[in-house]
Amino acid sequence: MVHALGEIRRVLVPNGILIDLRPVMDRWQVEVASAREFRETGRVHDLPSPLADDEAANRAMAQASEDGWFARQREEFFSYYYSWDTPSEMEEWIAEEWDDFIGMHEETKRATRSAWALGGADARVRLRVKMLITRWRVKGASQR
Amino acid sequence: MTLQKDPEGNETKYLHAFAEFKDKRILEIGCGEGRLTWQYAKATQTTVGIDPDRDALRVATIDRPSDLQNKILFACTHSQYLPFSNETLDLAILAWSL
Repeated sequence: MVHALGEIRRVLVPNGILIDLRPVMDRWQVEVASAREFRETGRVHDLPSPLADDEAANRAMAQASEDGWFARQREEFFSYYYSWDTPSEMEEWIAEEWDDFIGMHEETKRATRSAWALGGADARVRLRVKMLITRWRVKGASQR
Repeated sequence: MTLQKDPEGNETKYLHAFAEFKDKRILEIGCGEGRLTWQYAKATQTTVGIDPDRDALRVATIDRPSDLQNKILFACTHSQYLPFSNETLDLAILAWSL
């Protein structure tokens, strides 16, 4: 990762900008939402591998900052929703696409199905993914 | 399957709040199928999307809007070895890829 950041710095002009945009593991919230309201039904659990990836990414950016490659200018968290029509579609997606990243306990699945069944006709199921966006500026003279 | 990703458009809002794209030369690392690329590339001078996933880039190339054919380029490569000269790009985006 640090090597990649060095490459990015090399190709950017002086004072060029790097935007780091990524999800961060944080036991993402499961919700049932309709036009009227939304309700949290539980949280997923984070698996070890992506947690280690988050830490590695944070370490790489911290190292690049300490080495004087980039200066952090601005940072914020925001929500990115994945939304499905039904709980079973969400469960299927997680099992097929994200089984290395997150898991969902039976209790959360049951609570989600129940809230969705009692919701209005427009009720959908969604996962609130925590996103981090950081703006970095290329700093100092490079060894290019 | 009726999956909707970011129906509120938060990612695009934050991206535009954090970066200026007008007439800039952009590198997007981890562009995948171009989902994020289409959200900003129109304003840029040039956008290069890179990704090691050849299949995803094939989809991106097919989906590339016709009015952006000359503005957006895709390359199958890793970020460890960027095929560009020194100091040639204004802005780089690590798109879910660090």
